[in-house]
Amino acid sequence: MIADILKLQDPSGEAWLFLVLFGVVVGGPLVVQKLKIPGIIGLFFGGLLIGPHGLGFIGAGNETVFALGRLGLLYLMFVAGLELDLDLVKRHRRSVVIFSLLSFSLPMTAGTIAGLALDFEVAAAILLGALLASHTLIVYPTLKAFRVGNDPAVATGVGATVITDTMSLVLLAVVVGSTQGNASGLEIVAQTGLGLAIVAVFCFLGLPRLARLFLARFGASRTNRYVFALVALLAAATLAQVVGIEDIIGAFFAGLALNRLVPNEGDLMHRIDFFGSAVFVPVFMVSVGLVLDPSVMLRAETLEMAGVFVLACLGGKALAVVLTRPLLGFSWPQVAVLFSLTAAQAAATLAVADVGRNNGLFGNTVFNAVLGLILVSLVVASTVASVFGKQVPVPETPAAASHPGRRVLLVTSPECSVRSAVVGLATRLAASDGGVVVPVILVADGESVPPKHEVERLEQQLGRSGIDLPSIVLVDRDPARAVRHAVESSDASSVLVDDAGDRWTPDLAGPGDDPGVPVLVVGARTEGASGRFRGAVVVESAGVRPSPYLDAVSLRLAGRRARDGAGAELVVTLL
Amino acid sequence: LAAVLALAACSGADAAHNRAAGVFTPVKPGVLTVVTAEIPEAGFWEGTAAAPTGGFESRLAASLARHFGLAQVAVVTVPFADLVSGQLGGADIALSQLTPTAARRKVLHFSEPYLHASPAVLVHSGNRIDNMSAARAARWAVRRQSTLEAYLSGTVRPDHPVVATDTRAESIDALVAGRVDAVLLDLPVATAVASASSGRLVVSGQFPTEDDLAAAMAVHASRSNKDAVDSAVRALVADGTVRRLAHRWLGLSVEGRSSDEVPLIHTPS
Repeated sequence: MIADILKLQDPSGEAWLFLVLFGVVVGGPLVVQKLKIPGIIGLFFGGLLIGPHGLGFIGAGNETVFALGRLGLLYLMFVAGLELDLDLVKRHRRSVVIFSLLSFSLPMTAGTIAGLALDFEVAAAILLGALLASHTLIVYPTLKAFRVGNDPAVATGVGATVITDTMSLVLLAVVVGSTQGNASGLEIVAQTGLGLAIVAVFCFLGLPRLARLFLARFGASRTNRYVFALVALLAAATLAQVVGIEDIIGAFFAGLALNRLVPNEGDLMHRIDFFGSAVFVPVFMVSVGLVLDPSVMLRAETLEMAGVFVLACLGGKALAVVLTRPLLGFSWPQVAVLFSLTAAQAAATLAVADVGRNNGLFGNTVFNAVLGLILVSLVVASTVASVFGKQVPVPETPAAASHPGRRVLLVTSPECSVRSAVVGLATRLAASDGGVVVPVILVADGESVPPKHEVERLEQQLGRSGIDLPSIVLVDRDPARAVRHAVESSDASSVLVDDAGDRWTPDLAGPGDDPGVPVLVVGARTEGASGRFRGAVVVESAGVRPSPYLDAVSLRLAGRRARDGAGAELVVTLL
Repeated sequence: LAAVLALAACSGADAAHNRAAGVFTPVKPGVLTVVTAEIPEAGFWEGTAAAPTGGFESRLAASLARHFGLAQVAVVTVPFADLVSGQLGGADIALSQLTPTAARRKVLHFSEPYLHASPAVLVHSGNRIDNMSAARAARWAVRRQSTLEAYLSGTVRPDHPVVATDTRAESIDALVAGRVDAVLLDLPVATAVASASSGRLVVSGQFPTEDDLAAAMAVHASRSNKDAVDSAVRALVADGTVRRLAHRWLGLSVEGRSSDEVPLIHTPS
């Protein structure tokens, strides 16, 4: 009766489509997490529920969800490149290189052999190997919660992701290239190599320069910074597609290229992460779930394939981590956490499987079997990480002397003015350790707190150099004590003071006020060196007390310690 | 890695016996038997069943056969009404501008779609129907009992009675004779008819739907065959074969499976 009066209709249109989609994005992970299953699995099964093989709310030919899912996949690969800790690769390069080769080649070989044994053609078998050789750092947050993020084994696993995933994607490019057109083997290698080189040059040489130029002109706005990251991702993906390489490789390279400019602790990274984890990536996962077909998943052939994939993948990864004991001297708990880090298959695996499916190399049976592998690997990896993460001794926090750029406090006066040369110095110091700059406005007791618009002006100035964290205003009678408290509360690794007027230097160097991190004062000798600073950086000890940080800071800031004649000399005094 | 790269590059694109993509086993060894409703069918099937000379679906069949490593394509015809009730005349697959629907899924297995097929408006070249009010004011012809007839009556809801015809050709004749202002056809069909009309007919708009054209198989076809056809269709879309065929035989520019060349007619949600 009421239905007749209201002329009720079946729900339809875009609002209904997105309601269903985001209903799954919100509800899927919540439901499965209650069962102690990783949330990503809830997104897959949510997609299955609303898809053509479930309730049919979203049809097989729906182009909107497909397009959003593709964007989500690109975003996923971009964030994967962006989040990787390149500093860890640098610091543990020997173990990272050795383990990367093991962690890539053993599952790769096992996967290829498994594929051939399952009667796959060579290209599909190699693609399966590439798929199993990659890994996703799903359990890294769990290990960080155990405070073992800096353990050498964990650092090795994190660092190895850069190399294994890059090699997997290179293989993907070659395999897909071999299935398109009638080119000879040599032509395919040449085409793929040239394509990869073009994308790499654009990403690693062009994008960082473009980013700096853009930030300098338009970086004051947070929105602009975010949209630039999005444009960079899409430009790299488009270029990759134009030169015949899979677009996800362009997205991954773009993430790696902007890695140093977008520190993990920064505001821009948080924004990128937020939109990724709230919208784009879950929609991709749900779009994958739309392809799931229970009638295929539960067939004996699919289960057989999934079983072989699990054996090849986890067996290859297990062998690789066990070999780190004699080669790298890791303990058994370290071996176990390394296994948990590299066994988890998600982002790169899914990306490669998706590309293989879209290019007709993999059928629905293989794709569903890969999803079975992802499910098993996530459960195994999460369980191993939870059990063995607590057995790894918590390493000592890295000394500020060895990583002064991890979190740099940039201290300015209540006038909110800071010389651009000093800002450049702060960003250079932070970039050397993949860290962030935290602006601090120091106000002595009795001085007036800067008005809001002055603070915003300072933040806009800093934004143009890529510094995007909000400013902290500190009011204290004793500047040295204020700085010490700020170091403790924000877990800073160094302090950089713009002190053109010698206002604080004596106070900061006062007895008993050592904040335990390097304090760098950029002094008055640089008066007049306004504008762009292009000259040499000279780091010297003030002689107030012997500085244990001189070498570490000098190496990061100076590069060249002599005047190069290109501009003004900037003298940094270490207290 | 170098060895694997070399192996991958040299492996070529022979997907004939790739279990990863599904193995296709034809009814008749070495032959892909294809069924369609009618030959010739403008843009889709040219020539005769015994000697097809071209057309989008004819060439698509040849590409599929090549993908499966089959040397020959045999073509049979079965009336459209029989096709959509699951009678494939003993063929491996049907390629007959079929749109998957819930009713048809009960009697046929559909492959991955190979072309997007939104309902499109075919008019005389001087006419324009590119918005909903013009569409409602127009006199329409449409093939009886097709998904398009249901769309016309359910979504467009014209002011004038719709002329329902038994065949597509009768609808087009009604348009040419001026008895109606427009014919509703699947977009690839409409562009093929417009291309063949020497400029007398044009496609003036398309309605936003999720309809597609797909190959169909008998419900008793093996899962492996379905998997193989799905993978082959995806491969032909990815490597640009579908795009080239659509452009050559239908005069349709597609990106992936869809065309945004023809303006969209927005419908009330």
